[in-house]
Amino acid sequence: MTAASGCAEGCPEFTRMSRRGLLRGSVGAGVGLTAVSAFGTAFMETSFAATRSAPAVLVVLSMRGAVDGMSLVVPHGDPVYYAARPRIAVPSETLLAKDGFFGLHPHLAPLLPLWDAGQMATVHATGLPAPNRSHFAAIEEVEDADPGSAARVGWLNRLIGRDSYTNPLQAISFGESVTPVALAGPQASVAVDTIADMQLAGADKWDTARRRPKSMRTMWAGAPGPLGVGARAAMQAIGDFAPVRAVSATPANGAAYPSGDFGKAMAAAARTIRGDVGADVIAVDYGSWDHHADLGPLAWGQMQRMTTEFARGVAAFFTDLGPLAAKVTLVTLSEFGRRTKENANYGLDHGYGTAMMLFGAGVKGGYYGNWPGLTNTANADLLVTTDYRSVLAEVAVKRMGASSAQVFPGFQPETVGAIL
Amino acid sequence: MTYTPRPYRRTTIPSAATLHGLRRFTNGYTPALRNQVTAAGGFGPWFNRQLADAYDDNVYIQTARWWPSINASPETVWQRHKDEVEELWRADANYQCWAMVRRYGSQRQVREVMAEFWEHHLHVPATGEVGPFRSSYGKTVRKHALGRFDELLLAAITHPAMAVYLDNANSSKSAPNENLGRELLELHTVGRGEYGEDDVKNSARILTGYRVGLWSDWAFSYDPVKHWTGPVQVMGFAHANSDPDGRTALAAYLTYLAHHPATARRIALKLARRFVSDVPSDALVTRLAQVYLANGTAIRPVLKALVASSEFATSRGKKVRTPPEDVVATWRALGARFTAPPRTSDDSSGANAILWQSQSIGLTPFGWQRPDGRPDTAADWGSTSRFLASLDIHYTMAGGWWPKVGTGYRSAVSWLPQRRIRFDELVDHVARSVHGAGSTALMLQVACEATGCRPSEVISSTHRIVRWEWARVLTVFLDSPTHMTR
Repeated sequence: MTAASGCAEGCPEFTRMSRRGLLRGSVGAGVGLTAVSAFGTAFMETSFAATRSAPAVLVVLSMRGAVDGMSLVVPHGDPVYYAARPRIAVPSETLLAKDGFFGLHPHLAPLLPLWDAGQMATVHATGLPAPNRSHFAAIEEVEDADPGSAARVGWLNRLIGRDSYTNPLQAISFGESVTPVALAGPQASVAVDTIADMQLAGADKWDTARRRPKSMRTMWAGAPGPLGVGARAAMQAIGDFAPVRAVSATPANGAAYPSGDFGKAMAAAARTIRGDVGADVIAVDYGSWDHHADLGPLAWGQMQRMTTEFARGVAAFFTDLGPLAAKVTLVTLSEFGRRTKENANYGLDHGYGTAMMLFGAGVKGGYYGNWPGLTNTANADLLVTTDYRSVLAEVAVKRMGASSAQVFPGFQPETVGAIL
Repeated sequence: MTYTPRPYRRTTIPSAATLHGLRRFTNGYTPALRNQVTAAGGFGPWFNRQLADAYDDNVYIQTARWWPSINASPETVWQRHKDEVEELWRADANYQCWAMVRRYGSQRQVREVMAEFWEHHLHVPATGEVGPFRSSYGKTVRKHALGRFDELLLAAITHPAMAVYLDNANSSKSAPNENLGRELLELHTVGRGEYGEDDVKNSARILTGYRVGLWSDWAFSYDPVKHWTGPVQVMGFAHANSDPDGRTALAAYLTYLAHHPATARRIALKLARRFVSDVPSDALVTRLAQVYLANGTAIRPVLKALVASSEFATSRGKKVRTPPEDVVATWRALGARFTAPPRTSDDSSGANAILWQSQSIGLTPFGWQRPDGRPDTAADWGSTSRFLASLDIHYTMAGGWWPKVGTGYRSAVSWLPQRRIRFDELVDHVARSVHGAGSTALMLQVACEATGCRPSEVISSTHRIVRWEWARVLTVFLDSPTHMTR
């Protein structure tokens, strides 16, 4: 086993990070710089379809790759946990916010102020009603959240479709240019990598007659299919997004985001909320947590690095929001959890139940969920005792004023109690 | 104002059916491609010549020499990383650049298109995470791209790049790592619904024995001591698996999977989704699967059947180009050239910059972060950021502003087919050159709105749109649904 041997510059995560850094740098130094020097400040269109203020904001953080909930919210009171993971279990004495049974991964320390303020809750042993160990099928099932229907309409699309407001900025996903399944459906939404992307090339200060936006609207007015829908939503969103661009890109209240894509996405989310362009729903993808190898013991490994980044990003987000945090609720979900027993590679293969976390407005802090008890056999999973939809439904109903039946058709949610 | 397109017939174009075939099976229309098809005697003969590799492979061979890591052995690639000459991620980035450059220039367009298809089906990311093996993996897949799937599957699954990516490297009999065993079933062959968790476990057991010196010497070997022996069963496949060298059992297992009817359907569906439409009919998928099985998993007969189908003929313009496809097609449409091999680390050089262009639209070739390969439907590539970033790339390319180094752009004047020409005729000429099809009333209207020109306005080399605003003319064609689909 070589993964443990002094993870320095030879490690995969180092390689990934340096590559991402350079990718961004290259684009900035190339396309960005040229565009600025050639065309000056980007032309900004005036808004032609007014947005409204968002009374409450739901941020959905997808921990892609199937996160091991037992590393984040550690069941130290279950002796099987330590027996099944002799090398990678998080030692009980290092845990934070310990009660008689659970404790938080020590690298979640930046979140302790939220925990202490009663604004962080965890729900353990959550998941799909039946095991589904395929990343791709499971995440579709989780995000679609309508098992009886063949239509590819995500639960967040149903959530924003419950009222008559139809601005594409009602739901924004950051960090990926591919729209997540949760937002797929008839309601237009916006998927952007960064706020700087929200401009129309060529609509610059030399375009004094504003020919560029007019000609592009003509071109795409009747274009069929998702590309046409996306083009029209994009051109509307450019104008409506102006208040967000007007907000300073510097985080407020001394918030310090971790470097990397996750920190950037969370910073963009906070800036968007401050811009108040009517985004009820913000989706952020953060992965991959698919730790078949090198999840690692506390001293090294992917879980430790990513947990640190996660905690710093979420903490910075709420610091950045300041008083606006009073209307923002963040919920995490993942397609499934990992096995109870560690494998030969300091990792965990695909399992079943995992932990969800809730932060911010309306959250009633503490540990939730019914612990099913672990078994120490080769293929044992953490069983699911809470359908993940019960958690999401509580947020959708109590924070967003939706009806559970609209968002999760045919599903009878059980009370979790994590939302006031 | 009325906008009646005015054909400029001196600029010849292919028939609509030929254009459709070319848009699906090449990396973008060019007038040179039209000449090649005409010389071959039409799309059908041209396609058969492509399947027979009758066109020269010089672009593939020559451009591989532009980046030192492409042809280097894994040992050399690793040594260069250790010597800080070229980090692994950079070696992979060079592979990505090369893939785009050869798609841009290759005479073997169908082989390149199919190589890309299989590299996504048997996805291994080119992001520096599989050690020094990525270029070797890509070349292996391309070699089999028009051959038989059973041979391709064996070559890919037993390649060290796959072993590293899906954790089969060092999976042992005492605690098999299930990652590759599972994805082999779910993604590479039969798909979900065909197997259970016991099948996954046995799949993982059959795969044990391969060793890679991860982050040490990257040595790739097979160790019978690590192989799980004993009877295995995966779906209808059973093997005694008593030989400590499990490679014979593995080969038999992979052959079984490749010839499985469920695999035939998945491959048929993926091919139909790639080359016909996002939602191909069940009848077409069934027929292609039959051809696949009847020909012992050979790919060429399947492609011929696909192209001959009526569903293919009626699916024009329905596929949305992915970011790398958009970028390569833009270079081809503009007649922009790579004028010199890049220095490996020069990101402003065209042949390297092409990768960052692709990144800014949302995805690099083989940059997808999950083992299922990049998505391939319009819904996935119609997002706000993709659309706006594509327009940005089109505009900076149309103006010749970036990239500039190692890059040759056509002059604005060279786009004028005669010294003086009406604007509506010029629009038609450019549409024929860039799209391979004549202009429409909508295209003419957009061109007029974008430039402020009237249809009857006479354009010469001294006209303002030629002298200063030619980029605004070209973007009309690049920013159109025609260019952003295939």
